[in-house]
Amino acid sequence: MAKNLRTDKSKDRRRAIGLALLALVLLLIPTRGASAQGTPPPGVQPAAPPPILPPPNANIGAQSYSGSGGAAALLGTPVSPLFPGGVGLAKAPAPNMNDKQAALRGMQNFTSFNCVGCHAPNGGGGMGPSLSNRTFLYGHDPANIYLSIYQGRPNGMPAWGGVLPDSAIWDLVAYITSISKAPSPQWGTTVSATKPEIEQVPAQYVVTPRPWDATEAFSNGRKSNANFGRQP
Amino acid sequence: MKLGRRKFACLAILSGGYDVPNRLRFRPLEHGTWRILRGLLLATAAAIAVPALAQDQPPQSSSDLQALSQDDHNWVMAAKNYASTRYSPLEQINTGNVGQLKLAWTFSVGPARGQEAAPLVVDGTMYVVAPYAGVYPNRVFALDATTGELKWWYSPKPNLAAQGVACCDVVSRGLAYDNGKVFLATLDMHAVALDAATGKELWVSKIGDIGTGETVTMAPLVVKGKVLIGNSGGELGVRGWLTALDEETGKIAWRAYGAGPDSEVLIGDDFKAPYDWMKGKDLGVKSWPPGAWKTGGATAWGWISYDPELDLIFYGTSNPGPWNPNQRPGDNLWSSTLFARDPDTGAAKWAYQLSPHDLWDHDEVNENILLDLDIDGQTRKVVVHPGRNGYMYVIDRASGRVLSADAYDAVTVYDGVDLKTGRIRPVHDKDPLMGKVVEDICPAPPGAKDWQPSAWSPKTRLLYVPHQHLCATFKAAEVGYIAGTPYVGATVDMYAGPGGYRGEFMAWDPVKRKKIWSIKEDFPVWSGALVTGGNVAFYGTMDRWFKAVDARSGQVLWQFRGGSGFIGQPITYLGNDGVQYVAILSGVGGWPGVVANAEVDPRVRNGALGFTGATQDLSAHTVGGSSLLVFALAKENVEKPAVAPSAAPPPAQPGP
Repeated sequence: MAKNLRTDKSKDRRRAIGLALLALVLLLIPTRGASAQGTPPPGVQPAAPPPILPPPNANIGAQSYSGSGGAAALLGTPVSPLFPGGVGLAKAPAPNMNDKQAALRGMQNFTSFNCVGCHAPNGGGGMGPSLSNRTFLYGHDPANIYLSIYQGRPNGMPAWGGVLPDSAIWDLVAYITSISKAPSPQWGTTVSATKPEIEQVPAQYVVTPRPWDATEAFSNGRKSNANFGRQP
Repeated sequence: MKLGRRKFACLAILSGGYDVPNRLRFRPLEHGTWRILRGLLLATAAAIAVPALAQDQPPQSSSDLQALSQDDHNWVMAAKNYASTRYSPLEQINTGNVGQLKLAWTFSVGPARGQEAAPLVVDGTMYVVAPYAGVYPNRVFALDATTGELKWWYSPKPNLAAQGVACCDVVSRGLAYDNGKVFLATLDMHAVALDAATGKELWVSKIGDIGTGETVTMAPLVVKGKVLIGNSGGELGVRGWLTALDEETGKIAWRAYGAGPDSEVLIGDDFKAPYDWMKGKDLGVKSWPPGAWKTGGATAWGWISYDPELDLIFYGTSNPGPWNPNQRPGDNLWSSTLFARDPDTGAAKWAYQLSPHDLWDHDEVNENILLDLDIDGQTRKVVVHPGRNGYMYVIDRASGRVLSADAYDAVTVYDGVDLKTGRIRPVHDKDPLMGKVVEDICPAPPGAKDWQPSAWSPKTRLLYVPHQHLCATFKAAEVGYIAGTPYVGATVDMYAGPGGYRGEFMAWDPVKRKKIWSIKEDFPVWSGALVTGGNVAFYGTMDRWFKAVDARSGQVLWQFRGGSGFIGQPITYLGNDGVQYVAILSGVGGWPGVVANAEVDPRVRNGALGFTGATQDLSAHTVGGSSLLVFALAKENVEKPAVAPSAAPPPAQPGP
């Protein structure tokens, strides 16, 4: 298969401009609270650890996974798990799966491209579905998530493929994969007066690509106790 | 700020520009030649039909709506009447027998999303609209209001992408009716006129573009032959407007923007600002950073009232965008503003900004109840406006000057309203500086009260107010504008207010300026209110109770456990059998309810723009639903014969 099926030069140009502007945008993101290596906060604690913000990354926009991650290369990605005759399709792996900084960069993109407005901080959902658990209607493999972002989805997910370079989408995929790792004590979901039992320490107190590492007792609509003891 | 503007510019280019219209660029849909032919056929049919009809009925004119609204067989507009009292003089159901109220019939409207709509009842037929979801979004049903028999349904052509730009569930708050037509405004920015008898589509008009992030959720109102519709999208940086369409053709007669130059806000020579600080040219431009008014919200997604005597419509505008106030220094006129306009031209007569430079998403689109109140020995024509900011405003509706503004819920972020200047006083210790976590913001972003409309009884002279009781933690952050995506810039986490409860149904006396009684509810009271001549007030709860209370004392007289939580608008009417019915949709949702009707994680408090924090346990009480419930008394429990409509006097109060 050809590496690049696109022949529309204006689209290439637009994407090139997009890439350049993305680089500019991300370079302009202020450097705040530089912390070490994106270490996640320690585990289950009612008192929240200090915020963790992504380190500045000057190369973020120029990061390239060309040749391996383009949408064209993902045409074979199945959305359905049903394969007639038992003949399956191969899912392309994420090209950045070994890049430990990808999720941090993705977290920044998640804010910069207003993903956070619909899917909420830590992917809790609202206008769009939550990304904080394992429910992904269009598939939860990296290639599926990539395509959902690139192509959009019919119930309101915008198609970002014309705006975002592949590398930015793959970083978002890394972030989404990271925030979706909800603790999963059972196969299905039970809700009752005593379940769920936990909630995340809310995002105003902790900024991290691994929000499920910092949880507290479920508050039933009362104020989070995460800030107790840290009141100004 | 410098960063913000540069980012803004880049993203605007990336997203194909944010060419916010400076003129009316929307046109009725073009369907090709057949449409012209169809138009000719319709015109011919109408020419034949009108003389035939005229023999049976008096000729209809737009003033009929006023008369129809006073006939208690009917409920012809969401607010019952132009004064928006949601009061029916019917007293067949009263405090003595409401305890015997029984389910008469039910109907499923389809998608199990937020059911906020008010059913309409006109001449024995009920019209109801469903949320925008599924393959038949915003489906309209016509039912026999007595028996529940389905007469017809209509579904607009679906464009499900609209769901992705609706901030707070895919709700509709109802339909409008006039002159044998039912008017629908779809979430995806179409206005539609239907033949009320047959459901046939009479015209379709595209009134906006979901690509800019705008939608419609409000119930249109017809005034003097014009269908009034406002857009939603204050969370997506849309440019807000209220528009008037000719009810016969769907052509746009006028459009009044919520911000921008006077020529587009329709502020002209006969505009009188009630206070000096709102005087000056093009304040809708000058009170913003350069160009920010183009993405500044000030939508009109709430309620419209009409005073035929003053010939003015009244409605409020939404919050300014983005929520992060650090990106928009200035008063941000005319966001969070109450407007009085001429319904024929849209010209503004006065405007009063309730929250200059809003800090907390305190839209002011809530209902405006038009009353004649005796205040300090004088009868005053007022607007009563239960503010989202937590203050109950009584405003002179001829001048726009505030007569009183009293807190009706916990308020920590304001220190009252200065009646000399008309300006609310923010508590600056709470200012949401960039990146600062500000705690105990009361009322929370949805305010002390959101869209859920109050009801006024001229018998008790009390206002029945459903509302929430929430506070929030708020952290502002830089946000860039990308057309068609959220433009918020705040991390919000809401929770129950002082005392641990989250909602209240209260009776308020606007003359004595105090709460008379109150029922505290565990969840926000997100349903509308209804009050009747039988001194019964109705409301529903998010945890599935539909309640009838004594309007004088607040004593709960009856309650019914519904299939899903209630966020709809209760109505009442007389059936063709002379029986008084009470109807409401059951189906939890809306901004507080998406955590129970959509895939929203209750364990992530900042979800749903922070509302998840406050209602995270809702899905342990209810999930989404879609049932219309209609109640009546059994014949043996009716004490009095039904009041004949011709004998029913027009209500002494409400005003016009």
